[in-house]
Amino acid sequence: MKEIPISKRHLILAIFLAVVIAIGILLVQHWPLRVEQTSTPTTSEDSLASSAAVSAVEAVFQIDYREDEAAWLKRICDVSTPTGCLLFTAGADRLWKKYVDDKSVVTAKAQAIEKVADNGSEQVCQMTINLSSPLPGSNKTQDIAYIALEKTDNGWMFDRFLMESEINAILSHQKIISTPANEGKK
Amino acid sequence: MKRVILIFVLLTLLIPSAVYAQSTDPWSEVFQQDGNLNPDLIDLGVTTDNPDWMSIDLPFGQSIDLDANYHRFQTPSGNVVVLPSASTLFFMAMSPQASGLTSAYGALGNGAGTLIAFLGLAVGKNLDWDKVQADHPEYKSPDQFWNAVLNGNQNAWTYFSGWGFITNLLQMSWNDGAFRSIYLLYLNGKLNCASIPGGCSGIVKPPAPSNVCPDSSVTIQQPVLSIQKIAPNNPLVVGQDTGNRRGADIQAKVTIPPVIFIWYEPIYETRTVCRIAKTGETPNCNTGSGSKVNDGIFVSVTVLKECRKHLEHLPDAVASLQATASLDAVSKNWIIGNLGQSHYEAYIHLDNFALISGYGSWKGSCDGGGTCTATGQALRVPFADPGTFNLRLNVVTTGTRFRGVLITQPRHIGADGKLQVYLALPALVQ
Repeated sequence: MKEIPISKRHLILAIFLAVVIAIGILLVQHWPLRVEQTSTPTTSEDSLASSAAVSAVEAVFQIDYREDEAAWLKRICDVSTPTGCLLFTAGADRLWKKYVDDKSVVTAKAQAIEKVADNGSEQVCQMTINLSSPLPGSNKTQDIAYIALEKTDNGWMFDRFLMESEINAILSHQKIISTPANEGKK
Repeated sequence: MKRVILIFVLLTLLIPSAVYAQSTDPWSEVFQQDGNLNPDLIDLGVTTDNPDWMSIDLPFGQSIDLDANYHRFQTPSGNVVVLPSASTLFFMAMSPQASGLTSAYGALGNGAGTLIAFLGLAVGKNLDWDKVQADHPEYKSPDQFWNAVLNGNQNAWTYFSGWGFITNLLQMSWNDGAFRSIYLLYLNGKLNCASIPGGCSGIVKPPAPSNVCPDSSVTIQQPVLSIQKIAPNNPLVVGQDTGNRRGADIQAKVTIPPVIFIWYEPIYETRTVCRIAKTGETPNCNTGSGSKVNDGIFVSVTVLKECRKHLEHLPDAVASLQATASLDAVSKNWIIGNLGQSHYEAYIHLDNFALISGYGSWKGSCDGGGTCTATGQALRVPFADPGTFNLRLNVVTTGTRFRGVLITQPRHIGADGKLQVYLALPALVQ
C-alpha cells in the first residue's frame, strides 16, 4: 500500500473547503424559499414583466401640466396594451384637467415589490411609487399600486390598475395560503 | 330535482317568458307578441352617468371615472326599461346593490340570452371554476355561481383568474355602443326615477289622471340633430391657411318635434232630477219607483256629460347648446410619431376646444305647432392641427309643461360628427 503524505496545511485547507461547500449547498437549498417569501422576480419573464410595470407606472405619474395631454397619454400608451391605452384615454380628460388646474409638475420612481398573481399570459405586480411632490387631492408622496400586465407579441405590456375589489380578493387569497405556514413555524 | 327547481326559479325571476300571455305582467307593456318592442314605449334616448361603482382607483387618491351608459324606454304605465351597455352591465353585475341591478323587477335577454349567460360570455375562461368548486361545492354549475353573484350573495372578484378581459369588455362597449343584450325593467321608474340607473333625465311625468275620464297620454318624438362642416371643402391647418385665414365653418342643427299630450276634460252639466224626499221635505215629484203619489223632490245635480279630448303640441325648447371639437387619438399619434420624425418638434397645438360657445353662438325658437329648432354656427374656426376632429353636439332641453304642470323632464340629447383638417406636405418630385 502506497502512503500518501498530507501536510497539516493541506488538511486544514481541505476541511475549510468542505465546510464552505456544505454551507454553499445549504444556501442553495434554502434560496428558493427566500425567493418565494419576498417574491423578487425569479425568471427572466418575471424580470421583463416587472420592468414593464416600472416603465408604465413611471409614465402614468410623470406629469407636467405645461406639456400636452396627448404627449402624456402617448407615453402611457407606448407601454400599454391597446385596450389598456383605450381605458386610460377614456378616463384621462378629467384627470388631466385636475393636473392643469393644479399646475402639477411631478416625477415618479417606481419599484416592483412582488408578483402577486400569474396565470401565464397575465401577471399582477405590487409596486411602490415615490413622487417628487404630491398630486392634487392627496398629500402623499409614497403609495402602493397593484397593476395588471399582459404578455403580448411586443412583450409584457401594462393593462390597467387593479380595482379595490380585485386587490382585496388577491390579498385575502394570499392570506389564506400563508396562514398554515405561519402556524407551522410557531 | 334541485337543479330543476333552481332552473324554474331562475326562469321565474329572470326570463318572464310568459309575459306575452299575461296582460297583467309588466313585460307585456314592453314587448308585442311577436317579440318586437311595443310602439307605445317612449324612447328616452341614451343617458350617461359617472357612478362610483364604475370608477377605477389609482394610487395617490386619483381615479379614472368611466361612463355608465344606458338606453332607456318608458312604458305607458310609468315603468322604465333600461338597456345598459356591455361594460356597464358587467360592472352593474359586480355591484348589484349599489348599481340598482337588484332593484330591477326582472331582466330579459335578447339575442345574447339571459343575464347569467351574458356574464358567462363576458368573463369566459377567466372564471377559476376549480377554485369556485373547491370553496363552494354547493355550486354545481357556473350558472349557479353567477346567480349567487347577481343576488349579492357571492363576490365574483375572488374567483377571476384573469384581468385583461375587463379592458376587452370596455373596448367592446366603446367600439359597438349598440351592443346591449339585456333589458332591465324598473316598476314605477317614472315616480322613483332618482333611484333607477340613469336617473330622471328625460323621464316623462304627466299629471295625475282624473277619476272620471280616460288617462292622459304622452308621445315623445325623437329629435333630429346634426353637426357638420359646411365650408370649405378641404380646410387646411391654420398655419398653411395664411392667404385669407379661412379656417372652417361648422354648423349644428337641432329640430325637436313637439311632445304630443292628450288629455281629457270632464264636461259637466246641471240637470234637474227627482230624488226620494227625505223626512220633513214636501214631495213635489214622482220618482217612478212605483208610488202612485209624489214621493220625491226636484233637485239640481251636476252630472258628467262627456270627456272632451284635447290634443296639445307642447314645445320642448332648446335650453342650452354646446359643441366641441377634439382631435382623435390616431391623428394625435400621427402628429407626434410620423410627422414628428420628418418635421422636428411637431407637436399638438390645440386638440380639444369649444366651438359653441367659443368660436360661435346659437339661437333657437319654437313655432306655433310646437316644433322647436336651434341653429348654432362657429365660423372661420382656425384648426391648428391636421387630422380627424370628432365633433360633438350636446343639447339640453327645457322639458315640457302644461298649465304649470311638468309633463316631461328636460332631455339631454347629442350627436356626433367628423371633420377632416388637411396639411400640405412638401414632396420631392424627380
